[in-house]
Order: sequence, then C-alpha cells, then structure tokens
Amino acid sequence: MTGRANPAEMLAYVDDCLDPQARSAFEARLKADPELRREVARWESQNRAIRAAFGAPPRGALDLGGASNENAVRRAGEAAKSVDGAARPFGQARKRRAAARPIAKPRPSGPGPTARRLVRVVTLAAAIAWVGLPSLGPRPPAALIAAGASAARALGDLPVEFVAGDPAALAQRLGARLALSPPLAPGLQLIGARLAPGSQATATLYLYENSRGERVTLMVEPLDEIGAAPARRGEADGLSVAAWTGAGYGFVAAAHDDKDVESLIAAAGADDDFLADAGAQRR
Amino acid sequence: MSSVREWSDDAGALRRFGLALVRDDRFVFDDVAAGALIDKLFRQASLTLVDCPGEDRRAARVRAFAQFVRLYRRHARRLAVDEDGGWVETPPSCRGGGSAAVGVRSLPLELREALLLVVLAGFTHREAAAALDLPLAVVVDRLSRARTRLAAHMAAARETVAAWPQSAHLRIVK
Repeated sequence: MTGRANPAEMLAYVDDCLDPQARSAFEARLKADPELRREVARWESQNRAIRAAFGAPPRGALDLGGASNENAVRRAGEAAKSVDGAARPFGQARKRRAAARPIAKPRPSGPGPTARRLVRVVTLAAAIAWVGLPSLGPRPPAALIAAGASAARALGDLPVEFVAGDPAALAQRLGARLALSPPLAPGLQLIGARLAPGSQATATLYLYENSRGERVTLMVEPLDEIGAAPARRGEADGLSVAAWTGAGYGFVAAAHDDKDVESLIAAAGADDDFLADAGAQRR
Repeated sequence: MSSVREWSDDAGALRRFGLALVRDDRFVFDDVAAGALIDKLFRQASLTLVDCPGEDRRAARVRAFAQFVRLYRRHARRLAVDEDGGWVETPPSCRGGGSAAVGVRSLPLELREALLLVVLAGFTHREAAAALDLPLAVVVDRLSRARTRLAAHMAAARETVAAWPQSAHLRIVK
C-alpha cells in the first residue's frame, strides 16, 4: 500500500465509486506514481478474477442506471407461478380448491347408480362369506411354502447332518441365528437336523420319524420383519404341507400323513409357549 | 415500469450474487444446493418486498439485494445455531483449488457479502452500505480486509501450484 494514496480513495477508484472530479484528480496522481499504478492494477486484476470466477459480465456491459420501478404484485405472481409449477417431492398432490359442483338435476324415483353399486357390493360380500373363502388375514409367504416343500422332498430322506440326542445341544450346534430348540411333537421322534436353503436365508430342516418310520420334516427359517400368520394348509409334490410364521421365524411342516403335520402344528404353530421361547432366543 | 429485459438483468445479477454468496463450503457445497437455497430465498424476498411508487430502479435494486442479504443472514444464523458449536470446519487451506472462487468462499460472511456486492453486483460503496445497513466506513474497512485476505489466499495458492512437481505423476513404464 502506498503512503501517498488514501486506501479508501484507491478502493473507491478501483470500484468506480469516485465522482468525475475526484476521479480525474486521482488519475493525475496515478500517472505520476508507478507504485500506485501497480497497486491499482493489482486490485483491478483481483476484481476481474472474482467476476470471471462467478460468471459475471465485464463491468459496464449491464446498464442499470435507468429510472424504473418493479411491480411487487407482478413479482409475487411470478413467484407464485414458479412455486405452483415446481416439482413436488414424492409425488405429493397439491391442495386445490374443489371445483364448484353443478346444480343437481331432479332424479327419477328409485335407487340411484351409487345405491345400486352398494347393493351389488354387499351382495357379493355376503356370497363370499357364505361360500367361505380362505381367511383374508395375514398369510405366510408363498415362497416360504415352496422352499419348505422343496427341502422336504429333496433332503427329507437323506441322512441327518446333526444327530439329535439332546435338542438343546442340537440348537447350540446350529449356531446363534438358527438356535431354536426343536419342537417335540407327540408321536414323532426327532432324529436330527440338516441345513437347507430357505426362501431368503439358510434354514434348519428338523427331521422326525413317525411310528411307521416315515420321515416328517419341519423347516424353520429366520425371517426379518415377519408378522405372525396362522397355519396355512396345502399339498405339494404328494406331501401334506403346512406353513405358518411367528416370533421372527417361518415354519413349514411336511409329511405324507396329515396327522403328522397337525401334530407339528400343535407343537410349534399353536403353542404360544414355544413361540414365546423362540422369540426370546431370537432376541 | 421496467421492461422485462431490465428485470431479467437484475434477476440474473441477483442470482449470480446469491450463488457466490451462499456457497460457503460449510453448509452449501455445490451449485445444486446453492441453487435450491437461492430459489427459496428469492421466493421469500419476492413475497416480502413491498412496491414503492416513484422509486428509481437503482434504489429498488438496492432494496431487493438488501432483502436477499437479510434473508440469507437469518438463514445462516439459524444454521449456525443448529450446529451448536460441535462442528469443526475444515480449514480452507486443506481444500482443493486455488481459484478466486475458493478464496471468496473461504472469507467470513461479513467480508464476503461486502466484497461480492461491490465487485460482482456492481454496487457503489454507498449502495453497499445501504444494502448491508452499515456505515460507509465499516463497509470500506470490510472491503479492504476482504481484498487483503483474498490476495493472500491467491498468492498462497499460486505458490502451492508452483511448488508442485509437474512431472512427478508422469512416468514411463516399460
């Protein structure tokens, strides 16, 4: 900074804020002082760099001196239009005033189209209730049923991987994720377990034998965020299959005999204590 | 009444000024975020500005910029309060780039707004003082400090670039 120039005056010159008289006086001084010229050139160069960095046009290209007055109402209208036309997140609908309803014409006597539609819906609901369709409540996932039936068909007759002398020890060997004490069903003898591919993750396939020496399987798959659903019965590949969910697990029982499946449902699906224990182990 | 062309010039200048002002590498890191914030502040400014009959265009422009600056100051203050002092800013010297834009972003808000009003928006010192609601001497002092800091930043950046081994990253691999 030079000692002869007032910094405020120099900045005012660089920023084009001096009146013509002061400007010409400063320029006269500028001609005589090379150091002052360097200083001014430095600040002017900085100004150019800032304008270039932010994409501003060179000074003087924008004429802003004319007398005028913006219309605030017009600006507010433009802003309101831009707000109205802007995209809304998550496809939210904009609140609009409902259009005025036309004056209703007098209708002929008798039920209108809405009433007729309502009668049809009520009739259909009554018919459904009468015929007795399957429950419309929560149901176990179809993928779980398919996985359980496939595992029973493909792995049910193979030798067991884990021999079950002690069910608690078996659960311990299967690891923390699959650590579920196998249900003990009346009339069925637990002989061991295998690991099996579930619908989403690795599952445990508990293998039982009934009194006739037939294999009965129960697939238990840990499922995240699954709600409780009652048992759903069906048939797949000649096996009687039942599936249900609860306590964060999916269960699929498969056997040749319906009674064996019912026995497993009674031991695991309908037994609240068993499901409570399973939920506690899962946590 | 101003023509559409004149208004679009003013709006463009205000937008350019806003983009430069709100990108601070602290809360706003890119042009997309800056654009969104500016749109919001524009809407607020447009809806809160009152029309003054007989006001010349230059005064109206100063008033519009002043309103924008006020709204942005309020926004920045709220952000600073939300941060609750637990946030540690990365020093500008640790960030990449040595351009004037980076230097301007590294300036404190009070210096940045004064510098950008004068250099980028083309305000005189008196108009900047009116827009910032400050005495003229304070604005001139802030301008001087902003320029000195920016010059030091740019000089340091030039030295860093000059000291960088230009051929170190290129190697012939046979």
